[in-house]
Amino acid sequence: MFKCNNITARIFHRQIHNPRPGTSVHCARQFYENIVPSYTIYDIDCPDHFFRKFTEDGQYLISFSRNNQDLIVYRPTWLSYSCKEENCDSHDLPPKARRFESFFTQLYSVSLASGNELVCKDFFLYMENNQFGLFATSTSPVHDAPATEGAIHGVPSIEKITFHLVRLQDGVILDEKVFNNDFVNLAHSMGMGVFLYDDLLCIMSLRYQTIHILQIRDSGNLVDVRAIGAFCREDDELFLNSHSQASKFSLPLQSMAVLDKGKQNDLAMHQVENGLQHHQHTPGGPFLSGIKQRLLSFIFRGIWNEEADHALRVQCLKKKFYFHFQDYIDLIMWKVQFLDRHHLLIKFGSVDGGVFRNIDHHSAFFAVYNMETTEIIAFYQNSAEELYYLFEQFCDHFHATSRNSLYMNFISSHSNNIHALEQLRIVKNKASFPPFVKKLMASLPFSCQSQSPSPYFDQSLFRFDEKLISATDRHGQHNENPIKFISRRQANTLKFKIKPGPEAGGAEGRQKRSSFIFHPILPLALSIQQILMQPTVVNIHFRR
Amino acid sequence: MSAMNCPMSSSIGGVRSWPSTTSGSAWGKRIQKEIAEFNIDPPHDCSAGPKGDNLYHWVSTIIGPPGSPYQGGIFFLDITFPPDYPFKPPKVLFKTRIYHCNVDSNGNVSLDILKDGWSPALTVSTVLLAIRSLFTNPDPYNPRVPSIAHLYLSDRVKHDEVATEWTMRFAR
Repeated sequence: MFKCNNITARIFHRQIHNPRPGTSVHCARQFYENIVPSYTIYDIDCPDHFFRKFTEDGQYLISFSRNNQDLIVYRPTWLSYSCKEENCDSHDLPPKARRFESFFTQLYSVSLASGNELVCKDFFLYMENNQFGLFATSTSPVHDAPATEGAIHGVPSIEKITFHLVRLQDGVILDEKVFNNDFVNLAHSMGMGVFLYDDLLCIMSLRYQTIHILQIRDSGNLVDVRAIGAFCREDDELFLNSHSQASKFSLPLQSMAVLDKGKQNDLAMHQVENGLQHHQHTPGGPFLSGIKQRLLSFIFRGIWNEEADHALRVQCLKKKFYFHFQDYIDLIMWKVQFLDRHHLLIKFGSVDGGVFRNIDHHSAFFAVYNMETTEIIAFYQNSAEELYYLFEQFCDHFHATSRNSLYMNFISSHSNNIHALEQLRIVKNKASFPPFVKKLMASLPFSCQSQSPSPYFDQSLFRFDEKLISATDRHGQHNENPIKFISRRQANTLKFKIKPGPEAGGAEGRQKRSSFIFHPILPLALSIQQILMQPTVVNIHFRR
Repeated sequence: MSAMNCPMSSSIGGVRSWPSTTSGSAWGKRIQKEIAEFNIDPPHDCSAGPKGDNLYHWVSTIIGPPGSPYQGGIFFLDITFPPDYPFKPPKVLFKTRIYHCNVDSNGNVSLDILKDGWSPALTVSTVLLAIRSLFTNPDPYNPRVPSIAHLYLSDRVKHDEVATEWTMRFAR
């Protein structure tokens, strides 16, 4: 819309010119080309906290104390000072500009962790319409956890995980939800196991293979809605108990008989034992879990309907279904996200896909599950081209964000931004296709609220090196070179630079990590450098 | 037919080997023969096949017969062949929950031919056909779960309602 880069000219232009219908917000955002966080104050005088992020409405800066016990919340304000002299602009900033408190006002500090629990620093979800924050504390995981009834092997156990619902206005803890001897992934690097959509929360219990659906009420209560895993509907277990097939003839007798006979042939006995062990491994007794029954019958039906001739169909099933039956049985649910209020995207993989290992190279499966009708809608392997093309064209449908979240609409993706799509196509054409698809699918299901809505990451406004910085929050390897933000519409016009360190040298780049926290609206960012065995350095970037 | 094309030849990370003893070999031959026969003429609404490359452990699927309260259900069964098969019957276990007077809360089926009525002349096909006919004609006089048998005999409508509900909840 704007022909000129001069901000005054742009404002005049805006007064006399109506943007095309529906584009006014995009035109207004072009002013961000003029208002950039180009001024840096290095190593500000700052409390030694772990700074997590700004809430997506920019109201709060979330931080945790270094001892991983307390939540400290700040309100972003703005540096203000007065200057009596002439020619103020060239004047140096007053000394108080070096202080963190000049930019942020502490609202409160609350103790979250108690006992031997610690705050999970990666974990924070924000519910914008109520200004509620969800936090987690946990004890440390035990890796060789003893086998417990119903729990699967190979997944560590955490004695206590507590989710805290905090009203961010005043720091009051409204409700808590505790999981005992369970395992929920609470770090981004491991694939966040909690997803928030509107007022619905899903929590993936890896150890008990259950997706807990909770609702966050306006009153500030965490209410259990349903648990998907052993059963599909919320009242299945109740129903089962009320129609229990009370049977006095328990079967151990019969299985014993099979075992006795097995002794006649050692090998055969081994096989029968294996078979029996498999029954014992399956959580929830001898039957398939609710979600597995749905999954297997979906796969079965698909193959059954492919072929009309019964004999050929049975052949097909033998090769495609029964041969892999045990592999399907052994799949476990890894990660889950909402696609909308009814549909979940569930990632299945093998147990030895590893909780802490890189799981890119393992084969994984994705299922779309409707939790109202309790039906599996679709099932794909992570190498499926069809899934890739859905992902390429409709990426934003996978980024399910809460409906009333305005800022999140501007997060660039290859489905809403031509430049991001070009970037993706370049990578796609360079790489060989199947590994490329697997690598890309490894990002599914998406981690909730992991991207910053800052306009400086809007790829229709700025171009930047995604290897150095991106909207996705993560700790990157420290880079001494300044990160350049270049105008998208005027090629090669540098709009601003973010320099993470004042001078090259010092720790010589080794063991240095830096992370960036951008305010979602204001031209304000924090860059945080962690150098091993040294105090953390915080720089503030803003528009002077 | 394509019976020799059994999963043994295509072992994907196969662990179990062919039994080397003579009795084991006969055992294997008998099961191979059954696979061949099953493939030529599979029973209606039934399918079955070895689990992975283990010939002695099968999985079977029975589709709930239309018109019965089990309609719309997909029932998975585990079939394990004992070492002295075919002189002893295979062991059949429901992996899918079912409300049926002849199937107990651990998935065991009470069926005469799986116990005393077994004969080496019977095959997997006959067993599956017998189980499938239990879906339409339960045997309340030899129940595994007496309470369901009692309801079946005293209030058939109520029994069918409950069985339909079970199918919708646990067998879809």
